[in-house]
Amino acid sequence: MKSLVLVVAITFLVFGCSKENSFDEREINLISPEKISGFDPINASDKYSANEAGKVYEGLFEFHPLKRPYELIPNLAESLPVVSLDGLNYTFKLRKGVYFHDSPVFKQNIGRELNAHDVIFSIKRLADPKLNAKGWWILDDRLVGLNEWRIKNSKNEKTNYEEEIEGLKVLDDYTLQIKLNKPYPQFLYALAMPYTFVVAREAVEFYGKEFLNYPVGTGAFVLPKFEQSSMITYFRNPKFREKLYPSEGEEGDDKLGLLADAGKKIPLVDKINVHVMVESQPKWLSFMKAKNDLLEVKDVNIQQSITPDRTLKSDHKEKGIRLIMKPMLDVTYFAFNHDEPIFKNKKLRQAMNLAFDRASYNRLFHENTAFEAQGPIPPGLDGQKKEFKNPYIKYDVELAKKYLAEAGFPGGKGLPTIVVQTRSDTVSRQQVEFFEKCMEKIGINIDIGMNTWPELVNKVTKKQHQMYTMAWGADYPDAENFLGLLYCPNQAPGSNGANYCNPEFDTIFKQATVLQDSPERTDLYEKLNEMIAFDVPWILGFHRTDIYLTQAWLKNFKHMEFNHSQFQYLNVDLEVKKQLLNKF
Amino acid sequence: MKEKSLWKDALGRLIKDKWAFGSLIVVLTYSLIAVLSASGVIAQDWAKEVGASNLAPGSEYWFGTDIFGRDVFTKVLHGTKIAMSVGLMTALIAIPIGVTLGALAGYYGGWVDDFITWLYTTFSSIPNIMLLISITMILGKGIFSVYVALGATSWVTLCRLIRGEVIKHKEREYVQAAGAIGGSHFRKLFIHILPNVTHIIIINTSLQFQFAIKSEVILSYLGLGVQGEPSWGTMIDDAKLELTRGIWWQLAGATFAMFLVVLAFNLLGDALRDSLDPKLKGK
Amino acid sequence: MIKYIIRRLLYLIPVLLGVCFIIFILFNLVAGDPTAVLLGKNATAAQMIELREQLGLNKTLTEQYFDVVKSAFTFNFGHSWSTKQEISQMILRGAYPSLCLTLPAFIVATIFSLIIALVVAFYRGKGIDLFIRILCIAGVSISALAYILFFQYFFAFKFGWFEISGFEYGFPNFIPFVALPGIIFIILSLGPDVRFFRTVILDEIYQDYVRTARAKGLSDLSILLKHVLRNALIPIITYVIIQVPYLILGALLLENFFSIPGLGGITLNALNSSDFPVIKAMAILSSVLYILLSLFTDILYTFADPRVKLK
Repeated sequence: MKSLVLVVAITFLVFGCSKENSFDEREINLISPEKISGFDPINASDKYSANEAGKVYEGLFEFHPLKRPYELIPNLAESLPVVSLDGLNYTFKLRKGVYFHDSPVFKQNIGRELNAHDVIFSIKRLADPKLNAKGWWILDDRLVGLNEWRIKNSKNEKTNYEEEIEGLKVLDDYTLQIKLNKPYPQFLYALAMPYTFVVAREAVEFYGKEFLNYPVGTGAFVLPKFEQSSMITYFRNPKFREKLYPSEGEEGDDKLGLLADAGKKIPLVDKINVHVMVESQPKWLSFMKAKNDLLEVKDVNIQQSITPDRTLKSDHKEKGIRLIMKPMLDVTYFAFNHDEPIFKNKKLRQAMNLAFDRASYNRLFHENTAFEAQGPIPPGLDGQKKEFKNPYIKYDVELAKKYLAEAGFPGGKGLPTIVVQTRSDTVSRQQVEFFEKCMEKIGINIDIGMNTWPELVNKVTKKQHQMYTMAWGADYPDAENFLGLLYCPNQAPGSNGANYCNPEFDTIFKQATVLQDSPERTDLYEKLNEMIAFDVPWILGFHRTDIYLTQAWLKNFKHMEFNHSQFQYLNVDLEVKKQLLNKF
Repeated sequence: MKEKSLWKDALGRLIKDKWAFGSLIVVLTYSLIAVLSASGVIAQDWAKEVGASNLAPGSEYWFGTDIFGRDVFTKVLHGTKIAMSVGLMTALIAIPIGVTLGALAGYYGGWVDDFITWLYTTFSSIPNIMLLISITMILGKGIFSVYVALGATSWVTLCRLIRGEVIKHKEREYVQAAGAIGGSHFRKLFIHILPNVTHIIIINTSLQFQFAIKSEVILSYLGLGVQGEPSWGTMIDDAKLELTRGIWWQLAGATFAMFLVVLAFNLLGDALRDSLDPKLKGK
Repeated sequence: MIKYIIRRLLYLIPVLLGVCFIIFILFNLVAGDPTAVLLGKNATAAQMIELREQLGLNKTLTEQYFDVVKSAFTFNFGHSWSTKQEISQMILRGAYPSLCLTLPAFIVATIFSLIIALVVAFYRGKGIDLFIRILCIAGVSISALAYILFFQYFFAFKFGWFEISGFEYGFPNFIPFVALPGIIFIILSLGPDVRFFRTVILDEIYQDYVRTARAKGLSDLSILLKHVLRNALIPIITYVIIQVPYLILGALLLENFFSIPGLGGITLNALNSSDFPVIKAMAILSSVLYILLSLFTDILYTFADPRVKLK
């Protein structure tokens, strides 16, 4: 009986233990939907690890937080580089007065000034064969001597960082020169990606294998030690250089209040808490309890927040919640494996494409927020003509049946059951179920193959699949990143998991990749985009929409595709928060 | 003759117990639905779109419709087949292995015991979830893998329990006596000891059955469940995205269906135990 | 006695070898090539070959098996392939939240169940017996996933009685975070626990010595508490202790939905990213623990029941 009383007592103790918000500090609360594994920038390959790395580390360049289309601006670099006429020699000037975070790795624990050697070291680190970084592909076969250095060191016991590389030269403490072995128009984008964020050699050497838990960067926030936990707390970097909030942006930013902090020194908050939450229900519930300031809503779930006419529900409005919907730079698709003889049959591919009911799919899975893809290139990037309509992107069961008959499979006769490989989560399963129902209508049998992520990747890299579903998000704002998915030399284990090979496409693609941004290149991109539209190497799906809900007190959040550098600009209005909290 | 009267007796008592009788009816009904569904008499049109997507329950669709406008009630009926077959097949795989190995180990001792103990210790010391996932990885996804994976992980408990029980009984007077009058090992083990441990098998099976039905939900959550047809697991898994939107009927339908049968199995197991346990006879 | 313990400890060796063998078969022979997953969406073929070499996947199978065995006996599991973290650190860090969630809930559930089992055994066959049993069983007849979705939505969100999700290290900070998942854990344990405990208690009640005791004029209650419970303790302890390794592994579903950074999530992540060293480490650790605990129960057997002799 005693223990019974005890248990009841404990139960009462925990009631009402729910924590209250504090107003002592200017803090913002964000969510990471994936576990954070560590802070090594060279491995920050997915959006969420990039977001975390971007709070502590910085690169030479970053995207302007407000301007659209995306514009690169110098960050650790003082200005845009001087490029030689042949487009191969880049000379960078570094900003002076940039200091690393205070850390025991430095003399007297005080962060030292960043110099050109750090940049070179960080690039070499990305190429280090012993580290086998996920980000290596952005510099693979790009810089003079870097690949040779990598190959040489893969045989050595220890990587030799002392050796000079022709393509990477320090001219003085604040100047460096990088030599490319062929034109690489996306090179500056590579220097804005987390992979090339600048790290301190002292930290790498001091911490060794534990380096990924001790991020010593130059960024606006500091994290002394990373530990696996359900919440990561970053503190304002007290010694952060004089970096100001931009005073100009896209048209209309002014009205949205995005320029209210113009000219102020960043960071504007003391603390960022990142809550790790995997499941969608707790994310949504805790946002609605005002525990988090920003919620990335998956399109399937948007119904809970908006009315049928695309406006925010009134109970959300009362709480001051805002809805932000912006198209993403991505494409979803059902890929054929072109190594399978049946998929060499173009009529069959077109028939399946025509039988896919995109409008219903969009309604069921994207709540009509996605855009039917006319080609692989998403709108907003050069290469996607606004007026271009793909003639095969329509739902026409009769035509599909006709094409199927012309393909030699009238009514689906003679076709084997086709297995579509997908990920094993609920939505992926339902999406393929829907595809199955569509194909059933023209007599094609589909089976669902569900896979954990490793299994799916394995099947694709080993070419052991007939079809699979995929979503590709841009690494940088350039159509090359999307068209490369269909470039023959990229076939499995590369990113061309469809193993599509079209010599004509390849020739033009090769031409386009060495061109700088120009009308000529845009022409080539458009040509490629349309070529894909007619040849149907994939069943194109959608360009999706990013949907965010933000609390009224979160300031300066603007939708950004590559948002790892965005967090330093955020602000919080504690007065608004105080007023609104009683409504939650 | 003696055996027959024991079971007859048990059945008689079972019918007298209202709860047990009710449970029996529930289990039989579910089995009937499962058989009808498997033979194609009912719930074959679960894939048909009957109305708009996500309709709330009403007079026309008792349990509402799902995202594709399919009737949730039909899906629940179809799911019954999956659930019952998962329970049955798991038990069919686990019981023979578990009982045989457990009895042999407990009775013979020595190296037989050592080997079997080693086997089940090894198996039970690896976390179930890893075995489940690995087995489905090897056999490919699908209902067959679910059977094998659940069967292969659930014989262990039974084996250990039977072994312990047999060891206990081996030392007891009645077995010693049977040995003294010249009973063979086989006779001692299967005629004298095993009937005395049947209740363990029965309790365990009823537990196993409901464990399997519930595990199917977890496997579905991990994406390792049944593919291409609705099961209670996939329906509950769907609900994790739907509940905050106010769509509760898939969760409710599948949970209710599962609740009834799991409850019935549990009660039935208890009742069977009470009426079958030789020690309880006549009390 | 000491001899027996040593013998049983030596028994760890064949079991560990068996575990290593199963793991080796599953993850070195059958499972696919992990390199593509580990290198991310832009992996190059050359890089995959390099990584295979670095991870030791090009070694002969005997060498690979030996590596598994070596890590099992030295407890040196190296670094995770996907997170690059040191595995022993990951496990230490993850065991804490897992135990904060499962251990208190487990203890409460066990005590609760034992009390309930004694009550229903005492009133066996009466209405209250049936009622409580059905209640416990009904509780466990609902899927854990349904509980989580429902409780989180109503008790944490609508009524605000509990934290929705998250975790804080250190006592007593973690209590509000583990309270709700703990309650779900207890509800789910109550059913099986009560019926098992009731069964073993009833088994004892019908033994001859109870009849003798009753003939001596002892009251039912004192027989139940003094004699029956003492004898029923062996199977109860076995049942309870054998569950402990699973506690450390945490409760995968609860951890995911309540954002508790425990070992359940770590294991699931490892399985989803082909992180074989972590999986191996988890399997080996749990089997060592399992064997040690079953040794412990066997020793308890002798104390509780002199009829059992240790060889």
